[in-house]
Amino acid sequence: MLLGIETLLLILVLILAVVSLWIRDLMSSVVVFGAYSFLMCLIWTGMGAVDVAFTEAAVGAGVSTVFFVAVLFNTTRRIQFNPLDLSAKIFSAILCIGTGYLLMLGLSDLPSWGDPQALVNTNVSKYYIESAYKQTKVPNLVTAVLADYRAFDTMFETCVVFIAVLGIFMLLKKDGREPLKETSAKANDNLIIRVASRFMVPFIQLFGLYVVAHGHYSPGGGFQGGVILGASLILVAMAFNIEFVKQLLSIKRMLLLAVIGVIIFAGWGLVPVFLGQSFLDYSAWAALLPGTGEIMARSHSMLAVEIGVAITVMCGMYGIYMSLVSDGRFDKGL
Amino acid sequence: MAINVLAVILFAIISQTIHHPTVQLILNILIMASLGLGLFFFFATSVGVLRFPDFFTRLHAAGKGDTLSTILILLACSLFSLKSAKTLDQTTILAAIKILLIINFIFIGSPTATHALIEAGYNSEIDPWENNATRN
Repeated sequence: MLLGIETLLLILVLILAVVSLWIRDLMSSVVVFGAYSFLMCLIWTGMGAVDVAFTEAAVGAGVSTVFFVAVLFNTTRRIQFNPLDLSAKIFSAILCIGTGYLLMLGLSDLPSWGDPQALVNTNVSKYYIESAYKQTKVPNLVTAVLADYRAFDTMFETCVVFIAVLGIFMLLKKDGREPLKETSAKANDNLIIRVASRFMVPFIQLFGLYVVAHGHYSPGGGFQGGVILGASLILVAMAFNIEFVKQLLSIKRMLLLAVIGVIIFAGWGLVPVFLGQSFLDYSAWAALLPGTGEIMARSHSMLAVEIGVAITVMCGMYGIYMSLVSDGRFDKGL
Repeated sequence: MAINVLAVILFAIISQTIHHPTVQLILNILIMASLGLGLFFFFATSVGVLRFPDFFTRLHAAGKGDTLSTILILLACSLFSLKSAKTLDQTTILAAIKILLIINFIFIGSPTATHALIEAGYNSEIDPWENNATRN
């Protein structure tokens, strides 16, 4: 039965992928792409990967759709297509078909789904499943693997988010000396939207904090919670105006906080080096945190690291949105 | 919000304490009716979005029908999770209340989003549909 639903969802995903490429209107294409992400999220939920599904729902279906809309707001929603010049299309078609062929070649080497005899399920997974709770006292295995065993990967993922926001910010930023074409920084005077968002934003932020702090016990963690917190700021920027949200979190402070998030993660991992352990070995924190053994030190360290991730991701999402929507001027938005 | 939390707790107490078959039947019918109504309104919403003539009437169908049907289906889910629990423990009630919080969120968010869309359409001067067939 479950397999039936998943087959249906996969067929829908394929249809949506083709449709989103086929539509000429880029705005509709973005909406279809959001639906595609949401269906992928449902598929991952069906496979039991709830953490991944959560990330996909928050990032893929939620915030990235907003980013695409913000880009379309400053560019055009029509594809510029010259029917005489097909060289770019032919080149990308060859590239796509070649990549797809290579991926299909590799498909036969993948283990079948849920195969207990597969190589990855016999060595590493078994070790994590058997010893993660004993060594860290964290019931959510995904968080334990993500923030403790594979902390190196997560640290550089946080750096990737930071570098992404820095790149977009620096590429789009205008220095402010050039005159503005039109000054339409008018406040959104719609009372209903303002009141509703004023009511919803505290609950969204509370939920974001819950997702960050409760990532040990339930699906969630720094990335998802950070995206939710960033989305609440984006909602404020949309419902009010961009000046109002800049008073809450200015662009300078946004960059500073994004740096601080990375520093929290890396610094928390660097401290064990001075205590005679290796980098990111949280068990050394037992000497500094009062009343904790090596096991609980690892558990608490994961929370600290997740907070760093959440701060960086929140400021990253906020900064990317602000850069894209105002074309680097930070004066007016959607 | 406090009202529907109280209503769910009342429902939970009734479904767990009174095991008389008539009461259980009524509770089952309540769940099935709200689920069925939700599905009906969802179907009506999709028909409305496809069949109505212009932007405003389509959003009229989408905004109202979508909100009501989502609320009804989620309410049925929440009641069903309470009804099917063998013992009434903290986890079940918390799950039901979480679903109710989602209902509150949709109840505020979905009509506001529809309102924003309608206003955006109004400001960009989309011509509303007029029934020319009866006028001529």
